Amino acid sequence: MTALDSLRDIASVDAITTDLLRTAYDNDGSFLHRLDPRVLLLWYVVFLFVPWMFYEMDVLLALLVFVSVLAVLSRVSVYLLAIMAFSVVTSLTSYAIVTAFTGDPIAAMKALLPFTLKVTIISISSLAVFSSMSPKTLARGLLSLGVPRQFTFVIAYGYRMLPVLFQEYHELVNALRLRSAVPDSPGRFRWRYYRYLLRLSMKAFYPMIFNVAKRSRVTVEAMEARGFSNSLDSDASRELQLEGMEIRPGDGVFFCGSLIYVAIVASVL
Amino acid sequence: MNTQNDANISVDNLSVRYPGSDEYVLDGASVEIDAGEFVAVIGKNGSGKTTLCKSFNGLIPHFYDGSFGGRVTVGGIDTADATVSQLSEHVGYVFQEFDNQLVSPTVSDEVAFGPINHGHDDYRERAARALSLLNLDGIEDRFLWELSGGQKHLVALAAVLTLEPAILVVDEPAAQLDPVHAGETYDHLAALNHEQGMTIVTIEHQTEYIAEYCDSVVLVEDGRVAWKAPVEEALNRLEALRRNDIQPPQITRTAAEMGETDEQLPVGFDEGVRWFRNVLDSTTPNASPLTGADAGENLPARNDNSTPLIRFSSVSHTYPTLRGEDKQVLDALDLKVYSGDRVALVGSNGAGKSTILKLLTGLKTPAEGTVLINNTATATTLPERIADDVVYVPQNPESMFVKDSIRADIAHYLQSRDQEDVAARTDDVISFLDLEALEDRDGRLLSVGQQRRASLAIGVATAPSIILLDEPTGSLDLASRTEIGRTLSRAGERVEAVIMATHDLELAAEWANRILVLDDGKIHMDGPPKTVFAATDVLAEANLEPPQVVRLSKELGCTPVALSTDELVSHLSSERPTASTGASHQ
Repeated sequence: MTALDSLRDIASVDAITTDLLRTAYDNDGSFLHRLDPRVLLLWYVVFLFVPWMFYEMDVLLALLVFVSVLAVLSRVSVYLLAIMAFSVVTSLTSYAIVTAFTGDPIAAMKALLPFTLKVTIISISSLAVFSSMSPKTLARGLLSLGVPRQFTFVIAYGYRMLPVLFQEYHELVNALRLRSAVPDSPGRFRWRYYRYLLRLSMKAFYPMIFNVAKRSRVTVEAMEARGFSNSLDSDASRELQLEGMEIRPGDGVFFCGSLIYVAIVASVL
Repeated sequence: MNTQNDANISVDNLSVRYPGSDEYVLDGASVEIDAGEFVAVIGKNGSGKTTLCKSFNGLIPHFYDGSFGGRVTVGGIDTADATVSQLSEHVGYVFQEFDNQLVSPTVSDEVAFGPINHGHDDYRERAARALSLLNLDGIEDRFLWELSGGQKHLVALAAVLTLEPAILVVDEPAAQLDPVHAGETYDHLAALNHEQGMTIVTIEHQTEYIAEYCDSVVLVEDGRVAWKAPVEEALNRLEALRRNDIQPPQITRTAAEMGETDEQLPVGFDEGVRWFRNVLDSTTPNASPLTGADAGENLPARNDNSTPLIRFSSVSHTYPTLRGEDKQVLDALDLKVYSGDRVALVGSNGAGKSTILKLLTGLKTPAEGTVLINNTATATTLPERIADDVVYVPQNPESMFVKDSIRADIAHYLQSRDQEDVAARTDDVISFLDLEALEDRDGRLLSVGQQRRASLAIGVATAPSIILLDEPTGSLDLASRTEIGRTLSRAGERVEAVIMATHDLELAAEWANRILVLDDGKIHMDGPPKTVFAATDVLAEANLEPPQVVRLSKELGCTPVALSTDELVSHLSSERPTASTGASHQ
């Protein structure tokens, strides 16, 4: 029953959940984690623009190498990287297929490669930045930049709810499986079976939304019963939330170092 | 540390009606709770206990629409004039669904949430104090979703204590926790009450805990506070308790049925043992130890050559954790279940009970070893096919509601299997289990007791031969529990075996014919109830405490032990030379 076993492994919610949670919270060992979130956010904004200033493939590749090294140092989730690689490859392939009808697919791909590369650089730097900040760090960074607490709290809380949502969804899928019938014959490549699972996983969303809505009622009450709204316009509370954030020399070195690297790459290549 | 008038609660003529309902949940409720009291609030499922308690910290009326009347004062503050946030430094509230109360990823963030919100710059000291008060030191950096239910509950409690409230409200602490952890929580509450003079209010329906820990009892009935009385007196009002579906402590029930006296009956265990010794001594001078006439019971008769329905062969199972280590839940477990078995799986949280049930559904496959159902390995069978014979009713009934009405949920299994007469068969199950009034309601919006009943109906509708139940009586009052028992007995002729994971040892004693004691993923004992409950050392090792009636019969030297109050009463009466006849007690 290898087909069955592999299916169970792919659908291993536990494995995916664990990996995503590790990405979100287990970032003590990550290089970017040591930086101040405000500097990191500013760096990120800069790097959203940098790739668009160059057209030379060499420079773009050098930038790709740079952000990839950061991503490795930030221990980005394998699942997220796989999803990104998949989307890059499929989008390039789809260009090739479409242009095969209209002209020279190789030339089209060559023309589109710089664009795809730029998007990839930005995606990888996003992964690196956001995987190395815990939701709490990100929320603190945004809060200190003037984003309202209501919004920054939702970021931190949303992440905290992820495992709960996964578990809830998992339970509902299981409940549905135990009360549904599998197709009598799975068909070629078991396509009927996979179609059945796909349908089932969509059906489970509906009850999940209701269950979560019911849960959040208690959450809202419980937050208020511990003074949440007091934190919205209390200076003392805001101070405590931002306590300990400071920009250190290392932040400056990283920020300037990145820009110097870009400058060198641009002038040398 | 609390001044007297900082910690009292005064409810005056409170009435509450939720929107969309014509009936008042509370209609003229009045009660006074003094500073430093330890009070239990009791009442039927859905009687308004929680509504009353939510008025103490202003959630009612500030967080609900609807009509409100009356006045609630807490430590001299009129709750109508203060915000919930302001009241949060006076009244701490631990919700029944405490899982949803936790908003942060780690324990240290969670306990700091309140003080940071209020801008207390000593939040680290407050957090450390609260954690050490509850013996939680050392788990500061753990993620909340990795903690056990008992630990989560204590963290929710610690997170409330960091605001140093003078009043603490805890909604149904014993319902979601196993007896060991519930006992621990109560010990902590008692310490807060004694050492810090904190006023403590718990909503509770397990009277054994009330007798052990509380000073007084508030009964909520028909939207009013019917009475507030000292605990000994309150638990002696057997008729009022029964009318409100509250089971008095076993010791009190047994004493009442002995029909000995019109004096006050014992409510606590130690007190009860003394009371019974006294009664027995006065009737049988120099009483010799009582011995039972019957020789106990055996496991249901079975032919050893017959094939077991279920067979676990050296099954081991592990779970991954976030920090990369695997946690072992089952350790080379062997088990055979035969037709006719009614098995109760008992053990503390994390002993492996739920894992055994999930392995039987095929949703999980054993890491090592094999699980056979009717000689078919679950590892090579799809869960959907196993579900032809096996039904699993999970601990949280809400996860069984996948449709928008109970009726659709019951019909789902039949429809998906293209069975005939779906409508007629659904009707049968609905009328069979008296669910007519609920059939069009959304399962999520029912009360816990109704949810439990509906989830059983959904299970029974699959006409199973094996039923798996995970904690079917959690947070249920007496009426709902009785109903579950009735449902099981009506579950249908196809049923060959029922396996129930439960903390409710009273239910296990009365219902099961075979009890498996699990601890650390191993079966420590397997036998008929009387044998298992007599082995108090094995139970203690597995962090379990036998029901009061079992402990009492042991204390009185009664072998084999009695499993129900009736049994103990008839036993004790028959042993007494001057059995009092018909002396009735209410």
